[in-house]
Amino acid sequence: MYRILVYIGVALLLLGAFAFGVSLWEGPTAWHTDVRTFWGIPISLFVLWIGLAHAGTLISAIFLALGYPLGRRTSMVAELSTLCSLAVAALFPLVHLGIIENFYMVVPFLDARGNFSNLRSPLVWDFCCISVYGLVSLLFFATHLFSEKFPDLKKLIRPMAWLLFPLVLWVHTIVSLDFAVTFVPQWRGAFFPLYFIAGAIYSGLALVIILLTAEHCRVRVLEKLMLGLSWFMAFFWLWEFLLKGSFSFEVVFLGAVVPQLMWLRVIRENAFGRLLVAFSVLVSLGLERYILVTPSEYNAAEYFSWTDLGLVSFSLGLFTTLFFVFRAKFSSLLEGEDVVMGEIVLQQDESDKESEKVTLPEKNDFSILRLPLLIGVLVTLLYVVWAVSVENTNLAPLSVVNVAPLCLPLLVLVACFTLCARPLWGISGKRVKLVCAVLAGILGCLAGAFWAGGSSDVSSGVVSVQEVDSPKTVEFIWSSRCASCHGQDGKFNEKFVREFYPLPQKLTPVRLDTLGEDSLVKVILDGRVNMNPYRGRVSEDEARGLVRYMRHLAGEGE
Amino acid sequence: MDAILNALCCLMALGTSMFLWHRPVSIFKETGILALSLVVFGLFSYLTVDLSEPSLEYMPFRMLALCICFSTTSLTSHKTRYLVLSQVLWLWVEFFGGLTFVYHGLDMPWTRIVAIGAGAFGGAFLSHISREMEFLLMVYWIAVWMFF
Amino acid sequence: MQVLWGCRRLPDLSGAKVPEIAEFEREVRLALSRAKGAFDLVQVPMPGALDVHGASSLNRFGMAIDLDACDGCGKCILACMQENNIPLSSKGERDAGRFMHWIEMHGGAPAMCFHCGNAPCEKVCPTGAASHTPDGLSTMMYKRCTGSRFCGANCPVGARKFNYVDSVKEGLARKFNPEVPLRSKGVMEKCSLCLQRLQDHKHTQMATRPGVEWRGSGLKTACSEACPKNAIIFGNWLDQDSPLVQEAKHRNLYVPREIANLDPSVVYMRGRR
Repeated sequence: MYRILVYIGVALLLLGAFAFGVSLWEGPTAWHTDVRTFWGIPISLFVLWIGLAHAGTLISAIFLALGYPLGRRTSMVAELSTLCSLAVAALFPLVHLGIIENFYMVVPFLDARGNFSNLRSPLVWDFCCISVYGLVSLLFFATHLFSEKFPDLKKLIRPMAWLLFPLVLWVHTIVSLDFAVTFVPQWRGAFFPLYFIAGAIYSGLALVIILLTAEHCRVRVLEKLMLGLSWFMAFFWLWEFLLKGSFSFEVVFLGAVVPQLMWLRVIRENAFGRLLVAFSVLVSLGLERYILVTPSEYNAAEYFSWTDLGLVSFSLGLFTTLFFVFRAKFSSLLEGEDVVMGEIVLQQDESDKESEKVTLPEKNDFSILRLPLLIGVLVTLLYVVWAVSVENTNLAPLSVVNVAPLCLPLLVLVACFTLCARPLWGISGKRVKLVCAVLAGILGCLAGAFWAGGSSDVSSGVVSVQEVDSPKTVEFIWSSRCASCHGQDGKFNEKFVREFYPLPQKLTPVRLDTLGEDSLVKVILDGRVNMNPYRGRVSEDEARGLVRYMRHLAGEGE
Repeated sequence: MDAILNALCCLMALGTSMFLWHRPVSIFKETGILALSLVVFGLFSYLTVDLSEPSLEYMPFRMLALCICFSTTSLTSHKTRYLVLSQVLWLWVEFFGGLTFVYHGLDMPWTRIVAIGAGAFGGAFLSHISREMEFLLMVYWIAVWMFF
Repeated sequence: MQVLWGCRRLPDLSGAKVPEIAEFEREVRLALSRAKGAFDLVQVPMPGALDVHGASSLNRFGMAIDLDACDGCGKCILACMQENNIPLSSKGERDAGRFMHWIEMHGGAPAMCFHCGNAPCEKVCPTGAASHTPDGLSTMMYKRCTGSRFCGANCPVGARKFNYVDSVKEGLARKFNPEVPLRSKGVMEKCSLCLQRLQDHKHTQMATRPGVEWRGSGLKTACSEACPKNAIIFGNWLDQDSPLVQEAKHRNLYVPREIANLDPSVVYMRGRR
């Protein structure tokens, strides 16, 4: 059964792979954009798949946290779908970027040159939130998955669920803020956080229902929730219409009207009927995301180019392939002892859990969370204080409001690592430990590369400079190119050189003699540890002239 | 928004909250009541508040959060937990709504946010909520709504 | 990996087709014929010092465009293209309604980036490539741009242009001005108030008359220089002797309604006080 689904997934993946390749090669011009539509299908797909990831966490973490755990198989399927959705979603912001290799610039940390990403931007918050969400979800999945084999891990599950609960809602709130903080009229809305969260859970529930149908399994609670949420979505669409006049018939029909078919027993009891409704919900929300992300002077919905469709197919294919490959691989671990896999249609009737409280000892559960939370709060406080105090290169003040969206992800990340790193390390086999060590090494290298900053190559297509013909010209070049750091008179100019930027060396004749004219010319042209290269901005003759001028300054400076 | 409209919003939230969480609790009943209340709040806000006023955007959702806060006082089990969670929901709506306003040049309603935060934080320490405590909480929320 | 990381780097300049100047003139005429609708203008007071910690108290550069004198001839657009090496647009781009011109006509009024003091574009740039100088320019660091296009989406007047195509490889770019770099594919660009002219002027003064405060007097941007009616005036809002202040203090100043609260440095002038 899974094999067929994997084949379908691979087919969709291959269909879309060409579009994916073209998007990477050509860049943003490959999909539909126009004069006022800067974003397009990649961002809509990103929002859609991040939303789909949420239902998984809702079912496995939030329900568990609130004391209504669903069966193991349902939870694990949901969590696996979260991880696969996140993997798919993470690709699309990279595809969307104009210069993919510069993506590291959004990391909210200083590098050696004083470059700091702009913490006022919702994209930076996005990057952090989603990375943390992915990591913590992975840890939660691993803990939950291996808790069957290693019962020690069972006591970690509920505390981690409580950590994930606010995080997942926070993540989609931040994604909604990408739109709500802008001046684009179609994106105005202080209610966007709730709107996006509702849409995410709605579409996610539909996805989980589809996946459970593939397991020949149904959970009535989820279907009821989906139907209930359809009413909420109907209100949100009504509200959008009242505030902005935006209305899309397809979205409302497929998303609010068609799901009401679930009231009919014939649809509800039939697996195909349920699949129909669930797919209708997914299509409706996918379309809604696209229409939201591409407000333009032309009717965006009529403008799917083949690349757009290819990217959609690619994402669907990738998700399906990933999910069913892992599902088959982990099948023994995913199912509990009391469930038989295969052709038997099971009716897991998980009706109102109100009457059956799952009694977990609450007091003991959360005491292990105290220390991780404390450490998390301290680290977060440190970070906020540091970030607000960094001297801003952008001439705009950074206030606590700008850093606040990063607080919860950081807290949850630190708390989660502190909580489960040791237990998970304890149960890992040698191979896993080796892989972890290698990954840590790679991470360290990447962090070092980030710290060093990107290449300081001069851009190609460079400026030309006049020829050196007199000492006055050299003095002129010194004043305009070198004086800002080295000072007009060769003594370093403290005002312009940053505090943590090593100060330029004092120019003394002895030092200049030791270095020699040729190597100094090379330093000017090719740069040095903290000095940018001037090749292309200064010719070699001029560099020589400057070196001689430096001796002149050094001689005077005694 | 003048005081009378504010008070009316409060009353509506209180009124709709009385229908929630009555036994037997069914998913359809609760979500149906919440969705219906949202529609009522939404139409009320749209018809009474000036369209150019920015706080119109999230008014029905603030009322929904208030309604849910009121309704938690009638729960029989896990009251503290849901009390705190519902106040966090209200805080969420206010904080992130306010954040979008900051980016449009308006101010964030800090006093309101701090007040709700204080309520949520304090509420976490309540072990037993007597009827008097419930009443006090409701008065506190009404005060926060009306005056902040 | 080379495919992924290297595929959008700017290739070697030599050997690419270089378009003729006549093609640029033709494109400007095409753009004029496809001019967008006029802005909804609201009156504003004269711009003062930037309301930001660290802003210069001596210099805030800006421009004023005299709508009574402008007749929409488009010479400013061509001059800007030649000063800043702005590329032509391919047919696909034109079909999408996109020109790369930094100045566009909106109902007979030339519009470029208004260099808002409280710029929405700078707030949302994730890498910090869009930033503000102490003397009032909204600048763009091409090397720091990762092409997320958030700034472009957030500009209320649509002043920003994105390099969707590699203009050199497509034979659409001509290096009129050796002092301005050709932008690579995937970066955002916009009016820079001829930053290169400001820098040259400043460095020349620092070198030849050190110790004298630089107020930017005598400077003109390419568009202001090219306008036959002198409808575009460049100057320093904080310098009482600047021709900008001298002219603007007698006129009514207007900006598009969408950016009226964002403290723009570029304004329109109409009528007399």
